[in-house]
Amino acid sequence: MAEPDRTESFGSFRKSFSYGTRNDLNFKFFKSMSDDDAASFLQDLLDRLGDAYDTGDVGPLIEAAYEAQLVGYTPTTGGPVPKFAYEDGPFTEVAIPVGRARVGLLTTSGHFVAGDDPEPFGEQNMSQDDAVRRIAESLTSTPFLSEIPSNTPTGDLHVRHGGYDIRSALRDPNVTLPIDRMREADADGRVGSLAPTFYSYPGATSHGRLRGELPGWLERIHAQDIDLMLLVPV
Amino acid sequence: MCHVSVGHVARSIEDSGIPTVTIVTKAFRHRAEEMKLPRTLVVPHLMGRPMGAANDVERQSEVLDAALALFGTATRNGTIKEFPEAYRTGP
Repeated sequence: MAEPDRTESFGSFRKSFSYGTRNDLNFKFFKSMSDDDAASFLQDLLDRLGDAYDTGDVGPLIEAAYEAQLVGYTPTTGGPVPKFAYEDGPFTEVAIPVGRARVGLLTTSGHFVAGDDPEPFGEQNMSQDDAVRRIAESLTSTPFLSEIPSNTPTGDLHVRHGGYDIRSALRDPNVTLPIDRMREADADGRVGSLAPTFYSYPGATSHGRLRGELPGWLERIHAQDIDLMLLVPV
Repeated sequence: MCHVSVGHVARSIEDSGIPTVTIVTKAFRHRAEEMKLPRTLVVPHLMGRPMGAANDVERQSEVLDAALALFGTATRNGTIKEFPEAYRTGP
C-alpha cells in the first residue's frame, strides 16, 4: 500500500503556527511573513543555535526572534489599508503632576482575580488551551472588563487570553499587568496615589462590540476620580 | 488585535478628559501611529512582555517611569517616545 502523500508547502507550514496544527502564539506571525523572510529567519536562527552550542548564549537567538516579530507584524508597503486609521486624535492636558496624581491602570492581558472569573461563553474554569481553541469566537464577542483591586495580592491573580503566550505572565504578572511596579511607585511617591481598582480584559475581541461597551466602561473609570490612566496592550 | 482594541479604549478615555499613556510593543508601533494615540511609549520588547521580561523588576520599573514621564513632557496628540534599552532576559 502506498504511503499517503504528506507533501506540504512551505506556505502551509508557515500558516500552521497561527492557530493551526503547529500553533505557537510566539510565532503566529509566521503566517504574515513571506516565504523568503520566514525561511531566512529559520536559517539564521539555526545558525545562531549552532553558536549557542558552544557559547551557551541564547541572546542572539532571542534577538533574531525579536527582529522576526518586527518583520512579521509590521505592514508592508502597499498592503491592506488599516480599518481603524484616523487623521487626528484626542489630547487632554495634564492638570495634575504625576507625583500628586491618582493613576489608573488598564491592560488587555486577560487577568482576573481568583473568584471573579468572567467565564467567557458561560464556561466555568476555562483553560488557556480552550481560550486559544475558541479564539475565533472571542474575536466576535463582547469583552468583559475585569476589576482588579490595586491591593490584590499577586498570588490571587489569574490570566487567560487566547491571543498571546501567557507563560511569561504566569511567571510574573507584572510583564503585562504591572501591579507590583505601580504599588512600588506609589510607596516611593513617584505617583500621588493609585486608583482603587485596575482593569483588564482580553484584547482579542470584537472591536464593534468593544466600542459599544465603552460608555459603560468610562462611567466606571470616572467613578474612581482617576487623574491619569496607563494602558498596557499585549 | 489587542493594540487595536486598546486604541479605541485610549482614545475614548482621553476624549472623556483623562490623559492616557499607552505602552506599545515595537512590533505594533504602526497601530499607535494609525490610531493617533495621545501619548505612546514604544518598547523594544517581545510580544507578551510589554513591561520587560518576567521578574526583571528593574527593567519593569524603568519602563513604568518612562511611561509616567510622558505625562509631563507630551504637548500634543501623537507623541511617541522610544524606550532606549533593548530587551533582556530576567534574573
